[in-house]
Amino acid sequence: MAHPVENISSIKLAWAVSWSAFWTGFPFKLIVALLLLAGQVHPWEGAGLVTLLVVSVPIDIWAVGLTARTVFLERLGMEVRGPVGVSLWWEGAVLGALVLGSGYYAVGTTVAVGQKIAAAIIARIKNFYPKLPIAEQITLELLLWTIPAAIVLLVFVLVWLHLFGWRVKRFVMTSGQPSSASLLERVRQWDYARVPADPTLVLVSFAGVIVTLTVVFWVLLPVTTPTPHPDYPLPQVEKASKPVKPEELIKKTEANLEKAEAVLAALEKEKSKETKKRKGK
Amino acid sequence: MASPQPKIKSKVRCVDGEVGEVVHVIADPLSLDVSHIVVRANGTERQVPVSAIGAVRGESVELTCNAAQFSGFPELKRQDYVSSKEVEIPHLENRIHVEPGELLVPFPELEKNCARRSFFAGFINVIGALIALPLVWPVLRYIMKPMYVPYDNHWIKIGNISKIKTEDIGVQYIFKKSFKDSVLQREEEKNHWVVKASPETLKKIYTHGDIPFYDEKGAVIWINNQTVPYVAFSGKCPHLGCGYKWRSHKTRGQVFLCPCHLSIYDASGAVLDGPAPRPLDVLPIQISPSGDIEVIDVEYKAGKKEQVRIA
Amino acid sequence: MNAVFQKVYDFVDERIDLKTLEAKMMNEPIKGGSRWAYVFGSCLLFIFIMQAITGMLLMFYYIPSADHAYASTQYIIHEVDYGWFILSYHFWGSSAMVVMVFAHMSQVFLWGAYKKPREMIWLVGLVLFVIVMAFGFTGYLLPWDQRAYWATTVGVEIMDKTPLVGDFLARFLKGGPTPGQMTLSRFFVIHVMILPAALMGLAGLHLFFFRSAGPAGPFRGTPEELKAKTDFFFPRQVWKDIVAIAAVFMAICALAFIEPVQLLEQATPDPGDYHPEPEWYFLFLFQMLRWKIFSGEFGEVLGAVAIPGMFLLLLAALPFIDRNPERNIFKRPIALLSWTVVMIGILVLTVSAILNREFLE
Repeated sequence: MAHPVENISSIKLAWAVSWSAFWTGFPFKLIVALLLLAGQVHPWEGAGLVTLLVVSVPIDIWAVGLTARTVFLERLGMEVRGPVGVSLWWEGAVLGALVLGSGYYAVGTTVAVGQKIAAAIIARIKNFYPKLPIAEQITLELLLWTIPAAIVLLVFVLVWLHLFGWRVKRFVMTSGQPSSASLLERVRQWDYARVPADPTLVLVSFAGVIVTLTVVFWVLLPVTTPTPHPDYPLPQVEKASKPVKPEELIKKTEANLEKAEAVLAALEKEKSKETKKRKGK
Repeated sequence: MASPQPKIKSKVRCVDGEVGEVVHVIADPLSLDVSHIVVRANGTERQVPVSAIGAVRGESVELTCNAAQFSGFPELKRQDYVSSKEVEIPHLENRIHVEPGELLVPFPELEKNCARRSFFAGFINVIGALIALPLVWPVLRYIMKPMYVPYDNHWIKIGNISKIKTEDIGVQYIFKKSFKDSVLQREEEKNHWVVKASPETLKKIYTHGDIPFYDEKGAVIWINNQTVPYVAFSGKCPHLGCGYKWRSHKTRGQVFLCPCHLSIYDASGAVLDGPAPRPLDVLPIQISPSGDIEVIDVEYKAGKKEQVRIA
Repeated sequence: MNAVFQKVYDFVDERIDLKTLEAKMMNEPIKGGSRWAYVFGSCLLFIFIMQAITGMLLMFYYIPSADHAYASTQYIIHEVDYGWFILSYHFWGSSAMVVMVFAHMSQVFLWGAYKKPREMIWLVGLVLFVIVMAFGFTGYLLPWDQRAYWATTVGVEIMDKTPLVGDFLARFLKGGPTPGQMTLSRFFVIHVMILPAALMGLAGLHLFFFRSAGPAGPFRGTPEELKAKTDFFFPRQVWKDIVAIAAVFMAICALAFIEPVQLLEQATPDPGDYHPEPEWYFLFLFQMLRWKIFSGEFGEVLGAVAIPGMFLLLLAALPFIDRNPERNIFKRPIALLSWTVVMIGILVLTVSAILNREFLE
């Protein structure tokens, strides 16, 4: 009887492992990326990228291990002991660096050449049909170079999946044993793999981590917009107010009051003169 | 199902005689068909698969086995099942009628371990906190933005002392105050009262010495003193913030009277009668050389014994 | 503490049979077990709730008048503590909603979950899809900057081209022949009152229908396999839902940090250097209308009204046209091909619209 691994294509197997592993690790990486962003550090360049990559390694190893065990149990009925995550992640990463690295170069070249060819084709079309409208031209040109680029990209991804699947198969064949458990027990087995031995400890520490990260988030999050509008008159910082000196204040008030009373007296005098005048008439 | 459904309380007969009666019916949650009947015989409830049913005739169910084989059927483990009342399976109760009685549905294998269930439940709460908690502080600050704005300590010209002819008489000054109300530049009509105090009234007002005014940090921004015989009272009644008037009273003569709850104050602002908890609020006042009255529009919380500045 | 909680629980339970209610809500067997593919509906509900919360928060400061809408939005961005974050979250939340609607509809389509007996859920879902798009369209005007004003002007012009009712519809939305205060008031009321009420009601109906018809489950697997994997809605599916929801929440926050909302100049009836453009999820339609075949009066009706309208009608008729009970997408080549073509088409047109910006000078 053929080994159960022979019943599945290596591409399917590699896809099943890597696709679920990607999504398993994703939320954790997102937390790190979010904290970096809140602190105005870009996780796609420089120190931010390095941090994210470093943090991603243990997350990915754990995620690959978990999903690979599940896939082996579910699809192949195989059980693997030992550090699944480390072995598979290592091979996947090396293959990724080789295949996807060269794929990056190949796709880049295809895009560059494709764009030139697309531009040439458009120029030819314009010779025959000079009124080619711009909107149609853009979409046509886009399709002309993205289709070959997408095909090249797809080929490289398939090559990586095929190679990774081949390695995964070898790994299962050498270190796995067929599970004697029924399907029901196997389902329970991978379900239990997601529940820690000490749930309370994990929940409490996870809650603690979240509270800590929340406080870090609050400290990092800018209060006002990091990208103000150039024309917006931002409120000026208030000038420091002068301290009040009671004695000076009293003197000044007294002087003011005297003047005020003098003015008032003068006004009243004038007023009474006027009334007298009126009465005189 | 070809044969009629076995009914609750139906008598159950084996090939060699009656053994008991149907007490529950168990349904398969995926196919929505009856998978077992539960038969009570001599006080034990046994789970009999439908495959062992020969025929259902009215109120009796005939099994294809004999009594000895019947006692080989497993006993019902009630904890492995839930009642159809506690589970949401569309159309189940339309297809299988068991009233009165209980239709049972097997508990899924994965849900049988309580510790696992409670871990997932706990995890759900923790992740919920991951979403809710980061928002608490920013949302609180967002809502609180206009609640504790700095005090307005600008001097505002409210009128001229030439309007006052007699001492110890309340004179109302109505003025326009313009201010920034979030994004709007607004103008509001406000009023304060000014009294030219006689020496006795002045003495009453300054019983406790000079009157200082503070900013939000507690620093003195201004001090009123007896050298100025003019006293400005905030137009807001210290009882509950109504607008009071200078009126003549039957027994007390000329007084400040608040029409809302009938608080009465004399020209020095002291409470003569009514529910007011404190005298009228004195405002920082300055008289310019030309006799213009300038005040700081200080506002205190109403209804308190002590002055608590709010604006 | 627990004793007090238990007492309160028992008090309520005695009166409204809380335990049974809880059991009915949580104990829903999911054929073939909980799955990550089923999280999109819950994510949409979450995004909507967050849009409602952030929307209410924005209304604390927003003034829906042509004089102050722009200034109050700028005030929220620049002066209110964390206002920029709340507004940016609301802005990106709307994009997330549209993306999630596409994901949810795609999942239902690919899983064949619209087929009998779930046609009613699909139909209500389509109305919800239109409501979500209307949310995006009406909300876009509210900041009253150039982008807002011109996207709305063009959008309403498109509706104006609808045969028979177009003129009435456009005047109804604008509150007159030209955009102004009445337009802002109407869009505001539609955005904060009418659409939320409609969405809440229909989302309730959507869920009710879903519970009545039951989840579709996976499209393949032996009965033993499905039975072994079956679990209840609570706790595993809820757990998966909330993990996905947390990821959505963090993704929206991340977008708010990467690209906080920045307004253009205040709206004026003179676009100046600004090239009007709708929100990104309408860009594919906008770009399609630039094609020669959709120019001219007839072409515009065809591209702006007839084709999108026909597409929606086709989606509505889908469960009645496609009556083959086969749900496995790999055995439904026409469905798979159409879905791929539509998705690639939208993608290519959206990118084209972005490339087209360079040719507008």
